[in-house]
Formats: sequence, C-alpha cells, structure tokens
Amino acid sequence: MIHRHTSLRHRPAIALMLALFLWAGQPQAHAQATSPSLDIFSGLDFNFKDIHFETQYDFLIRLTPGFKWNMGNHWQLSGQVMFPIVNQYGYEYSFFQVTALNVSKEFKINSLCLKATAGAFSHNRYGLDLKAFLPLCDWFAFEGQAGYVGSVFVSPYWELVAPNRFVGRFGGDIYLSRWNTQFRGVIGKYLYGDIGLEGIAMRHFNHTTVSLYGRWSNKFGFDGGFRVVIMLPPYHRKQRVVNVRPASNWRMSYSVMVHEYSLLMYRTDPEENERDGWFSRDLLQWGSHTMEPDFIIKEKTKKNEKP
Amino acid sequence: MKNLNLIIVLIALWLLPQLGKAQQFTGTSGLAHIPTGEMNHEGDALIGGHFLNKAMMPDTGFLYEGEKYHTFNYYVALAPFSWIEMSYVCTERIYRKDAQGNIVNWSKDRYASVKIRPLKEGKYYPAVAIGCNDVWTSFALFADKPNVQFYFQNWYIAATKHFEFSGNELGLTLAYRHFYRGYNAKWNGIVGGITFRPAFFPQARLMAEYTGNDFLLSMDMLLWQHLRLQATVKDFKYFYGGACLQFNLLGKKYRY
Repeated sequence: MIHRHTSLRHRPAIALMLALFLWAGQPQAHAQATSPSLDIFSGLDFNFKDIHFETQYDFLIRLTPGFKWNMGNHWQLSGQVMFPIVNQYGYEYSFFQVTALNVSKEFKINSLCLKATAGAFSHNRYGLDLKAFLPLCDWFAFEGQAGYVGSVFVSPYWELVAPNRFVGRFGGDIYLSRWNTQFRGVIGKYLYGDIGLEGIAMRHFNHTTVSLYGRWSNKFGFDGGFRVVIMLPPYHRKQRVVNVRPASNWRMSYSVMVHEYSLLMYRTDPEENERDGWFSRDLLQWGSHTMEPDFIIKEKTKKNEKP
Repeated sequence: MKNLNLIIVLIALWLLPQLGKAQQFTGTSGLAHIPTGEMNHEGDALIGGHFLNKAMMPDTGFLYEGEKYHTFNYYVALAPFSWIEMSYVCTERIYRKDAQGNIVNWSKDRYASVKIRPLKEGKYYPAVAIGCNDVWTSFALFADKPNVQFYFQNWYIAATKHFEFSGNELGLTLAYRHFYRGYNAKWNGIVGGITFRPAFFPQARLMAEYTGNDFLLSMDMLLWQHLRLQATVKDFKYFYGGACLQFNLLGKKYRY
C-alpha cells in the first residue's frame, strides 16, 4: 500500500528536517574541507541466534559490498547491499537487501554537530534522518536522532510504503578519558513502535570497543547483552581518489533474550558503529575521537612530487 | 580404560617441562577449579575451550539416561580494567542420541561470570577478589523461569599472596565458595591452593589445589604470548584441560 498524502503544511517536523537538510548545503565555515574520494569496500555481516535446542546456533552471514563517495565539505553519497552467503534465519533473509543508498551532510553550528541524511537506510527503511551531538564539556554530551521513515523492499519484489512513522531517541553521554570509558543513556521511540530505555557502558581499547548494555522496551521487556566493534586492518592506509579496501569495522551484538525487534533503529551509514559514532573525526573531537586514530591515512603523492 | 587414563596422565606429565597465569574453565583467572585473588591483565581478552571430565561435572544436569558423560565448554572473557573480569561460557549437554548411541544433538548451558578485585596485593597483605558464576541467576535478573537450572552458579571470596625467592614465585590462595545447588555442595566451604612459578621458565605455573572434594594437580603456561594451555589431573586418574587464545586489547605484551 502506498500512501501519497503527505503535505508539508501538515507535517511541520518534516518541513523542519528538510529545511535543515537544505540549509546544510550552504558552505559552513566550521567544516573542514576533505579531499573528494570514492571508497569501495566490503565486509561480513555476521549474525547468530541461539533459540533452538536441536541446533547449536542459527547463522546468517552476509557479504556487505558498498561505497562511499566523499564529495568534499562533508557531503557524502553512500550505498550498500547485503548478499546472504549462509542463511539459517529463514526465507525472508534469503534475498539481497539494499541497506544504504543515501546522501548525507555533516555540519556544525558552534559546538553542535548535525548530520542530515536522505535516502534508503538499513532494515528496509527510507526517508529523512537528522542526528545531533552537543558536547557540553570534555566529559558530557547530549545526543539525539530523529527520523521520518517508510518501508522499501527491493527483493524479491518491489514494494514501497510512503513515510508514515516518526522515530527518534535522545540521551546523554559521559566520557572518562583517563580510562577511555563511555556511558550512554538513551530514551526513544523505535522502528517497531516500541518506546524504551537503554543504558550502555563502553570500554574503548586500541582498535576495539567492548560494551555491555541493558534495556527495556514497552513491547518486548527487558534484555541485555554485549557488543564488540573491531576496527579492521590495515591501519596504515594511502588515500587515493579511488580506494578499494575492506570494511572499516566488524561489529557483533549479543542479546541474552534474543529480542531482535526490541529498540531497533536503522543505520544510515554503511559502516556505522558505536566506536566511531555518527560524525567525522575532524568535525567532532569528543569521546573516542580524542584517542589515537584507528587509521593513519597517508595522502598519496606523485613520484616527482616531494611529500 | 585404565590404560587410556594412564596415557592421558603421561601426556600431561610430558607437557610439564615444556609448558602463565591460568584460566579456570570459566574463562576467568584462577587455578584449575578454584578462584584466586589475582586477576588477568587489564585489556586481556580470551577465547577458548575446555575439555571437562565427567568426574569434575555437577552430579545432575549433565546426565544422559542416568549416566554422566565427558563434555566441553567454550568461552569468551575480558578484563576491561585491572580490577574486573567478565566471561561468558557455554557448556555442552547431550540433547539426543540415535539408536546406535551416537550423539545427534548437543544443547548448551549458558552463564556469565564476573570477578571483582577490591584489594590489590600489597607487600604485607594479599589480593582479595569476590565474584560469582552465572550472574543472571545470582542476582535473579532473568531467573523468572522455575525450570532454569543453575548448574555452575556459585559465589566466592578469595585471597592470594605471592612470595618470591631466588626469582621463583610461590603463591598461596585461600577462598570461601558457596554453590547455589545442593548437588554441588561437595565444593562448598573453604578451598585453597598453592602455585609455583619457576624462575627459569616463568611462563609456566604448577598448581596443587583442594576443591572441597578433590585434590587437583595442574599446570598452565602461556606460549608465544597468545596461546594459553592448562592441564589438570584429579586423583592421578582423571584428566581435564583446555586451551585459549589470549590478546591484550591495549596492545601490551606480557610474559605470563
């Protein structure tokens, strides 16, 4: 079913997000210019469930080829699909999925970092998304996300449901730089209409972040577990106009209660993870971005050119 | 069967001269079966498995048609700070056998362990650690199902002091442990052990311990800074042991 009645006059929130998105297109004095480049990458999306007595685990392993076209000035065009390689999750996971095809723009107003994204996101969603991060001091920051999304299915059949759901979350972050430890508390309304709270404790190591989380959803109840984000080598890279590389990170999330739809939110960036956060390192120097960078990027120089 | 046990003991003894800080079968630091006051290094991450002899398994839960059986577990563990360790362990259980007696399916028992060290070892006092296996049930966070079993659930307090002489290291551990289930009561109460780390090969550690019910002789060592091995013999008859890969996520290198 496709809903076509979406008037901006009756949707002030959408109008506001669109205005922000368009306004973000204006050159910002705060944004650092980055060399335009195209990154082509792939990784593995690794999932497993422990819900049957008769099998050890059910696995879902997908290849995740994607691209990021950094157009400069923090504009980015991203795309990603997922192909199942091993699927024990069932029929609905046996097709390829478009998990990103969107354009985004990061910008900064004083210390407030904003990122607006429009297009297709993960979990078969598309629409508009706005993320905000406001550091108040070295150790405390507010964060928020708001989205207006519909559903889109590309395979095995085409289906488009017009945007009809507001989602969002708001919370605070505490970062203890001496121990590279971060605490996050978030409240929000999520993709399946549930409202919930989540508390996360993260310890950032060299190239790895391990976190414990506990959460409550009004539809799914309590849950908890751990997450691991490993930034993948090589850690020294040369920056060319076109870069073919492995995915920047490998991420896994373990849930004790296996509530896969609890507090579920789409990802707008194909390589989004808890360690890197939503914003570029050069725009936001807070939290794990104050640690040594995972990737040392060396600009490629021509043979006759002195470095 | 006696010959098989003898061979296993000989293999364990052969490993002796070749064979750091051990992991117990829970993935956390300790001796072979009892906890200690010492901790893994900050940032240490472990992934490994243990062969579990039926002689060291709980007297219920791991029975098939009334018979105890050997099994194994696997785990991941992390010491995010120098004063805390966490691990997540899955122990395999036989779920079904076919008519010929071959195992068709395994199921698993899952639990998480936490160990905290409030007192670091000093010159005149021992390190003291407290901890528990099966945290969910220990704190009844997810224990709303009456049929949930807590095969390995226990809490403990352990103190360990090390003494050095001629570069060798002698460690003494005393602990009090309490298992939740009555069928594990044999391991309740005061337990303890002695460790010896030779100066000429500090990566290895010899251990003798009393679990409340059994006397265990064990050895563990860290090879190439990443491979940790442990071998244990109960009553010179029953072998169990395991191996794990160890990485320090802060990039530090330790000999043991």
